[in-house]
Amino acid sequence: MIDREMDVIGERDIMAGGEEQFGDKAPRRYQRRRPRQVIPDYVDWKDVEFLRQFIPERGKIMPRRISGVSAKDQRRIATAIKRARSMALLPFVWE
Amino acid sequence: MANRTYEVMYIVDPETPADKLTKLNEAVGKLIEKEGGTVVRMDDGGRRTLAYPINKKTEGFYILFEVEGSGQEIAELERRMRVNDMIIRYITVRVDEDRKKAERRTAKREKRAATRAKFRPTEETAPEAAA
Repeated sequence: MIDREMDVIGERDIMAGGEEQFGDKAPRRYQRRRPRQVIPDYVDWKDVEFLRQFIPERGKIMPRRISGVSAKDQRRIATAIKRARSMALLPFVWE
Repeated sequence: MANRTYEVMYIVDPETPADKLTKLNEAVGKLIEKEGGTVVRMDDGGRRTLAYPINKKTEGFYILFEVEGSGQEIAELERRMRVNDMIIRYITVRVDEDRKKAERRTAKREKRAATRAKFRPTEETAPEAAA
């Protein structure tokens, strides 16, 4: 008898665990990725070919969680892209 | 004043004749020298298609100047560029600080690589250490 009760409790615990895992509030996890490209020590805003790597089709700046670059590098790349945009080297939006 | 390095880039209207363009570039260089700066580099990027139309124009001449100076010549240059009808867009970027930072980063990485190489056993000594 005691053994069976223990079994039931064990099952319930497993169920509860499963519900938590597939609930709405499950945290969205991103896989950490290594950057595919080497970031030079000086990010040149005139180097369009390099900056293009961080711009998907729509023309937006690629988020850090996708590109996998460090926060410092992301900041440098973002300012470089913005400078290039203001000089019409890169578009603001692509249709 | 400390000397700073700037990059000045401007886009010239594609309809300006070639002789007027060269005259404009010469005038810019002269103005910088007159105000106490020095032109390190002058780059003619040539005709380029713009990434988006500016003033209903899809092309433009790109000219880049690298200027060393106190910053006063930049103020004067920007004032003139704003008034000039031929220049449809310009940008000035101070680059000396970022370049110095980049140099420091490169030096640091090289130093780290050197120390690592010193401590890492070379291919000849590695088997001996294992034995």
